Amino acid sequence: MSNLPRKIRLMEIMQDGNEYWNYDVIKQAMQDYGFQSDFSRDTLNMDLIELAAVAFIKEVDLKVDDEGVYKKGFLLHKYVITEAGKARLSDACMYAI
Amino acid sequence: MVDLQALRQAEHGRRIRNGYMWALFCAVLWGIWYIPGTVVWGLTPFVEMYTEVASTSGDGMALIVTAVLITALNAVTVVLALFVWNGVLGNYGEMIRTAKSFHPCSKWFLLASVFGGPVAILGSFMAMGFVGGAFAAVAALLYPVIGAALANVWHGEKISKRAAMGIFVIIAGGITIFGGGVITELQAGSVGWMGYLGGLMAATGWGIEGAVADKGLDVANADVGLHLRFIAELAIWIIIALPLLAIMGYPVFTYAFQIFQPLTILMFVFAGITFGFCYVSWYKSFPLIGVGRGQGIANLYGMFAVISTILFFGDVPQWTVLVGGALCIVGSFIMFSEESLELETLRN
Repeated sequence: MSNLPRKIRLMEIMQDGNEYWNYDVIKQAMQDYGFQSDFSRDTLNMDLIELAAVAFIKEVDLKVDDEGVYKKGFLLHKYVITEAGKARLSDACMYAI
Repeated sequence: MVDLQALRQAEHGRRIRNGYMWALFCAVLWGIWYIPGTVVWGLTPFVEMYTEVASTSGDGMALIVTAVLITALNAVTVVLALFVWNGVLGNYGEMIRTAKSFHPCSKWFLLASVFGGPVAILGSFMAMGFVGGAFAAVAALLYPVIGAALANVWHGEKISKRAAMGIFVIIAGGITIFGGGVITELQAGSVGWMGYLGGLMAATGWGIEGAVADKGLDVANADVGLHLRFIAELAIWIIIALPLLAIMGYPVFTYAFQIFQPLTILMFVFAGITFGFCYVSWYKSFPLIGVGRGQGIANLYGMFAVISTILFFGDVPQWTVLVGGALCIVGSFIMFSEESLELETLRN
């Protein structure tokens, strides 16, 4: 169970600098928070989209979800954390209770 | 073969459209809020309170003291409306996590509550009380310039020429709507420095709030962040402002306990819902399209406020309202028509 706000936790999962597909990050975060609904899954995906919009994570690859790992027919994104994201994350985690 | 780039472009387009949609919701709800926000001044116990304070301290001070009580009570219903909203969204856990993360998240919402509450709202009422309603409206319309400039310098937010032009055209539209009233008010007599200070506080307060809140929204959810911001604002009014006014001899608590009249309560419920969701929409637009664009479109509230008062109070619009409204619409389209891929990331 994570005590961090969702967006911070999502960046924390990616903090090692490796490239991650959105569905893998979302799956991990859902386990951390004990989320089960599709609504929670989509909320976490929206968090990732907002993190990409402020350039804390960057899209590196794309594919269509043919197998239904996230939502069949949807666009899947592969992300990597940016230097700006790492800086904000280290600042955030240093002080989080 | 699926065209991935076309799908990607469509997804970006959706994000931008959603951002503009939230900003537009904000403007519409802000405009509708002017109905309960205006009506409540004519209801018990505020009429009696205004009269009592005015008889000893003058009209300007009566307006500010009454405004503080109305704003505090407005904050109560906003906080309650947001409890329902965040409850439905299942956000209580996220609220606790965000509140506890004071340094990265909640401190920015606390700061936002100071700039958006006591600075901007009080400033707006000071401008209204010591100069006039139209002056206060025009002063407040300038806030996106401060918000966009701060977001650009501080966060490196991209403000394209097209977005800047849209912001200025919407401001020009707002000034055209209220401009005639400002000239009448300024010609009416001597204007105290308190009025100008209030105008400055309104213009800078909401602009700074947007940029400060956006710093927290980098790593927090907008629905949750906004709720924390209003809980903080409510605490400022109840723990600091109202007791301070009571110590100064103003009967704020006496009148606060007299609000339990059906129509007064109904108006506060209406005000809480419209103001709460207007603010939620404002905050939700920032991570999607940026502070500058979100505030620029939300500035259409000037036009929607005038439409609300025309529809509900039967005020006859002047020709300047039509010209100003047309300018506001032109300004919005200048911003809407921006190439969505330019906004793939909002920051440099």
